Order: sequence, then structure tokens, then C-alpha cells
Amino acid sequence: MTDEELPAVEVAELSKDYGDLVALHPLDMTVDAGGSVALIGHNGSGKSTLLRMLAGLLEPSDGDIEIAGWPVGSLEARATTSFLPDDPVLYDDLSVREHVEYVSRLHGGSGWDDYAASVVERLGLMDRVDDLPSRFSRGLRQKTSIVLGIVRPFSLLLVDEPFVGLDAGGRQAMFELLDEVRADGAAVVVATHEPAFVERVDRSVALRDGEVIFDGVARASDVLSLVGA
Amino acid sequence: MPDALPVPVSVIGDLRRARRRQRVAKIHWIDALYQVYLVGIAVVAVVAVLSTVIGDEALDAAGIERVRTDGPAWLGVAAALAFFVGLRSGSRGGPLAVEAPDVRHVLMAPVDRGAALRGPALRQLRFAAFAAAGTGAAAGQFAGRRFPENGLEWILSDAAFALTVVGLGFGAALLASSRRLPSWLATLVGGGLLVWSVADVASSSVPMAPASAAGVIAVWPIEFHPLGIVPIVVAAALVAIGLAGIAHVSLEKAERRTALVGQLRFAVTLQDLRTVMVLRRQLAADLPRSRPWVRALRAPGRARFPTWQRGWRGVLRWPVPRLLRLLALAAIAGMSLRGVWNGTTPLLVPAGLALWVAALDAIEPLAQETDHPGLRDGYPLAEGELMVRHLPVPAVVMVVVTGIAAAVAGVGDRAVDASVLAIGAVPLAAASVLGAAVSVLMGVPKEVDELLIASPEIAGAKTVLRTVFPPLVACLGVLPVLMARNPPEGSTATDMAGTGALIVGFVVLLCTGWVRFAADIRMWWVEASQTAKDQAMGRTAEEEVP
Repeated sequence: MTDEELPAVEVAELSKDYGDLVALHPLDMTVDAGGSVALIGHNGSGKSTLLRMLAGLLEPSDGDIEIAGWPVGSLEARATTSFLPDDPVLYDDLSVREHVEYVSRLHGGSGWDDYAASVVERLGLMDRVDDLPSRFSRGLRQKTSIVLGIVRPFSLLLVDEPFVGLDAGGRQAMFELLDEVRADGAAVVVATHEPAFVERVDRSVALRDGEVIFDGVARASDVLSLVGA
Repeated sequence: MPDALPVPVSVIGDLRRARRRQRVAKIHWIDALYQVYLVGIAVVAVVAVLSTVIGDEALDAAGIERVRTDGPAWLGVAAALAFFVGLRSGSRGGPLAVEAPDVRHVLMAPVDRGAALRGPALRQLRFAAFAAAGTGAAAGQFAGRRFPENGLEWILSDAAFALTVVGLGFGAALLASSRRLPSWLATLVGGGLLVWSVADVASSSVPMAPASAAGVIAVWPIEFHPLGIVPIVVAAALVAIGLAGIAHVSLEKAERRTALVGQLRFAVTLQDLRTVMVLRRQLAADLPRSRPWVRALRAPGRARFPTWQRGWRGVLRWPVPRLLRLLALAAIAGMSLRGVWNGTTPLLVPAGLALWVAALDAIEPLAQETDHPGLRDGYPLAEGELMVRHLPVPAVVMVVVTGIAAAVAGVGDRAVDASVLAIGAVPLAAASVLGAAVSVLMGVPKEVDELLIASPEIAGAKTVLRTVFPPLVACLGVLPVLMARNPPEGSTATDMAGTGALIVGFVVLLCTGWVRFAADIRMWWVEASQTAKDQAMGRTAEEEVP
């Protein structure tokens, strides 16, 4: 999907502050095309802030972000990046199917197709596909949000706390979808509290108080010692 | 990646049309007609009140000359205010508040953001322009009755003035948003022009303020001056440039604004002043500092007066914008006090309101307790007692604020007598604090008010009382200055200020009593209602038993 020679994400001297509160100290980071990274750290460590800046939702206080060689927020970067937030944001008056149709077409996709149907089926939403997500439980809304993040074209998937609110079947489907996305050549960056997930990715980046304290290959048993008690 | 970028925005148009069709299909026409009916009644009421206030007596030559010379400056303040509010709103991501899902799905998609946002922006502008033109035309119609010129000229020129004001405000917001103007710069530029306009009204020695040129439009029927064309061109240019650059709106600000504006509208419909204040602060990023200005206070565990210390801990974390706002409000109050002293009695309203708004900031520690009733109810003391203990810190803060207001009122030509200010400052501070405390503690109107169900004829009076009483208490604080203005024979201004201070003190005492016992009275009322209900049900049950 991505040009093999360009990293999926390249971040230089990136920082974020809110007045006198520093959310993210200056950091440099690269994610190779097709690579996978787990962002780990306690609440408030800066994982979501970093992801939202990579998605273009937050503006950096300083530093540069390039997505597949394009400045973050540019048309090309937006076409490349899919962001799965931890707080599903959905239209009140569109069904799951209408959401898929709309979001897919907004990204140049074909709308509701076999692939979309298969993702919906695997997340257990097929029976509810014509219902309004605004009347769903938190978990079902999260699944709808996952569908919307997956069915559109992308080569970089940013995922914030993907397993929160999911049942066992949903978690398993999410694991499989992330593996498939990677197998298709997309880069994946996942912020998670799930220690086991670090063993499914190429490398982990641990954050504490907005600073990178570890960047390398980690094991599930290392996570607590990495992020601090 | 899609074959061609950007993805055509026709996708968005298709969806919006489909959603509109769904919305229209779901409209209950009886409800819609009822709303139209209510709006119609409100418009008729406003027109009737305005026509009574304005009257239709023709102005004499001197009056017409005064309107010609002073009118543009006065109306220029409205234009400057719109420009200021627009710049501030734009620096926070306004004037648009697109739907949250649109931010996430549309603005993050590879579509032309400009094309996606121009439609909503034009709809918002169209509505504002329509409302402004209607209001301006109505004002022109009233004005036309008092001037010898053709009524149609007044209608057209006043509608043009209102449209220009909307264009300046909306255009400034679009420009600030698209150019990502920093908030401090928006405040500096907009505030500077506003202050210039106010100074233009207050003094003839000040050069004509730029915004006064907009006011010229409104008096074109008396004298056509081409200067009025300039603000029309500026407003059109601002809107055009803003719309052209709308794609550069900040997603971070757009998302924050989207979430907050929705809640803000809901809070306004509930008349929930406290929530409106909290949300407005979030919208303006007016948040407490992480570190206090001064760190010399003792640790809470060792404090003899924990509520007092808790209050200061909050106050010492106030951000710069809040401090500047209090300064500005103090200046407004001071200038208004000077106006009251010099004979313009109605200025006691802006004086009282400015200090009431300042006090709403000052009573933040008390308001925090109402925001967290779970914590408040966990303390081993009565709710009212806790609230009374929270009053001294805001009182001290407001003494400082009224001190600044007094300094503004007491310096220069036609200044308020220093002894009157010395006597009146503390009652004024106390009245504003109690007015603000009462308004916060009254809270939101209950969904089911048993008193109103029992006596629906008092519903209107109660609503008015809830809305008007707190600011009225603050306005009452101006009484010492008002009474000292024209002391009766045998009395001095100082005597009258003292009498006024005593009256204000009495009201403050009553309000403090209300703060102390309101929760107890509410509890007593609930219990009494429940007992009465239980007794009534018991009687009914007895009657049903054969």
C-alpha cells in the first residue's frame, strides 16, 4: 500500500503543551512502512495525545510529523491514515450500513461491499446493520467505529485503546483484523493497556509523563516494569 | 489511497440531502406550527415594547443634530463589539460549530475541507443576515416615525447597518479562524478597537474610532456620508477572505468547540447559568493554572480554616484571562458608577451587572461545591454552613475589584466623591457576592416543581424572580452612590451614602441568611410535601374502604 522507501510515520522534535502543562516532551520517532508499534504507558502518559497528533486531530506545539512523506493533515496524509479513537463518534441518524456507505465513499471507496459485509459479520454486527448506533451500547458503538476504521482504504492505522468495551468475541476479531491489516502491508500504531499485545507487534514505545522511556522489543512480562508501577 | 485526490465533495452533498429528507420526514407539523406561533408572539411582544420605549414623538432640530453627530459613535460601539466578539470566537475555532461526527469523518477524509465547510458557513451567515436585516428594518421603521425623512430610507439604512455589523462580526470570526489568529492577538486587536469606540462616545477629544464609520450608515437618511461605504466593503471583504480560507480551520479547536457549543446551548435552554459559565470557560480555554501564582500557603492538613484556605488555593490558580476579565469588568463598573453619579441613573444596571458577572468568577470555590454534591454532602457540616464559610474569600476578592472600580470612578473630571466611594465600596462588593451566590445556589429549575403544580398562577412570577433577583441584588449595591448623588437639604452626600450602605447591608444580611438556610428550607418543604401527600393518600384509602 505505502511507498516502501518512505516511513509510514516520521516525527521530529514533536511536543505538545497546554499552557503550563506539558503533555508530550519533544520526541523523535519513526514507524516503518508496514511496521507495527505498541504505545504503552499509564493514563496521562501521552499515548492518546501522540496518536491524535499523528491523526491530525491535535496540533503540535512544536515539531514536525510526516505521514508517508506527506505533512500531517494534508490530503494525501488523510487519505493514508485511518484513526480508530477510543471514543466512538457517530451520526445519530445513520444506520451502521449508512455509516459504512458514507465513510467509505468519503475516502474514495466503493461504499457497502463484500469486504465491509465480512468485517461487520466478524464483529457480530450483521443483525444490527440497519439499526442506529446511537441506540447501541458502548461496546457495539466501539465495534461500529472499528468497522468504519477498517473498511476504508489506508496504509497507516492508528488505534487508541481498541479493546476497551469489547466482549471476548470482539477482542478476538479485533486481534485478527489487526493481524490482517499488517499482513496486507499497512503500518499499525496501537495505544493499549493490554500487556499481551506487545508480543504481537514489531516494537513497543513506552511513555511516562509525556516522555519516551523505552523504545524496542518488549515482552508482556516486561510491560509493568517498563511503564513503572 | 484513492486514485484521485481530493475525493469529490458531492458525496457530502448527497448525504446531507438524504439526512435533510429524513429530518423533514420526522417533523411533527403541529409542533413546528406551535413553535412558529410562539416566535410570532415573542416578535410582536418585542415590537410592542420597543415602540412604547421609543415612542413616536418627532424630534426637534437639536435632537436630530445630536443624533447626526453622536449617533455614529454610539452605534459604532455595537459594530466594534461585533468585531471583537467575532475575532475572539474565530480565535477559538468559531464561528462554525460543525457536528462532532463531521469533524471525525468528513474533515479527516481526503476531501476539500473548504468545499465541505463553505456550505454550513453560508447557511449560518444567511440566517444571521436574515435576522439582522429584519431587526435593523424594524428599528428603522421606529426611527422613521421620529424623523422628518422618508420612513423607507430609515428602514433601508438601518437594515444595511445591521447587515454590516453581522458581516463585520462573522467575517472577523471566519478570518481569525482561517488564519488561526492567537487568542491574545484577537483580544488585543478587537479589545483595542472596542475601547477606542467607547472612548469615542465618552469624549469629543478622541479621534473618530474606525467602527464609528459603520454607525454613519444608520444615519444616512439625515446626512449621506460616503465614509459609510468603507465598513460595508470591509465587511464584505472579511467574509470573502474568511470563506476563501475556511479550509485552514483548526481541527483541534473545531472538535472542542463542537462538543462544548452543543452542551452550552442545552444549558442555556435549561437556564443553567453555572453550567453555561463552566462551558464558556472551557470554550475560551480559561482553565485553572497547574501551579498557583503563590505557593506560600500552608498545607491543608495544618490549616485552622480549611474552607478559607481552599478558597485561596482556587483563586491563586486563576489564569491571566480571568484576571484581565475582572479588571475589564471593574473598569466598566467604575465608568458606569461615574455615569450614575453624574445623573444617568440607568447606568446603575451595567455597574451592578458588571460586578455580578465578576462575582460569578469570584465565588468559584462555592460553585465548585454545588458542582460536586457528592463530595459536599460527605462533609460533617450542614450544606448552608459550608456555603457561608465560602463567602469570605470571594468577598475579599470583590473588595479588591470594587476598589479598582472605585479608583476608575473617583479619578479625573466629574469624579465620584471619594468619601462616598469609601463608604459604598464594601456594600457594593458584598451585594455582588451575595447576588452571585444566590444565583448559583438557586441552581437549575426543577423539571417537576410541586409548588408550581399546586399554584400554577405563580409560575411566571417565580421564573422572573429566579432570573432577575440575583442581578438585582448586585445592582442594589449601587444604592449608596445613587442616594448620595442629590442629598436632601440638611444631609450630606456622606450621610446619604451611609444610609444607602445600611440598606444594602440589611439586604446582604437577608441573603446570607438565605444562603445559610436555603438547603434546610428546601428539605423541610420536600418533607412537608411528602407528609401531606402521604396523609392525602391515607385519607383516600380510608374512604375507599367500605
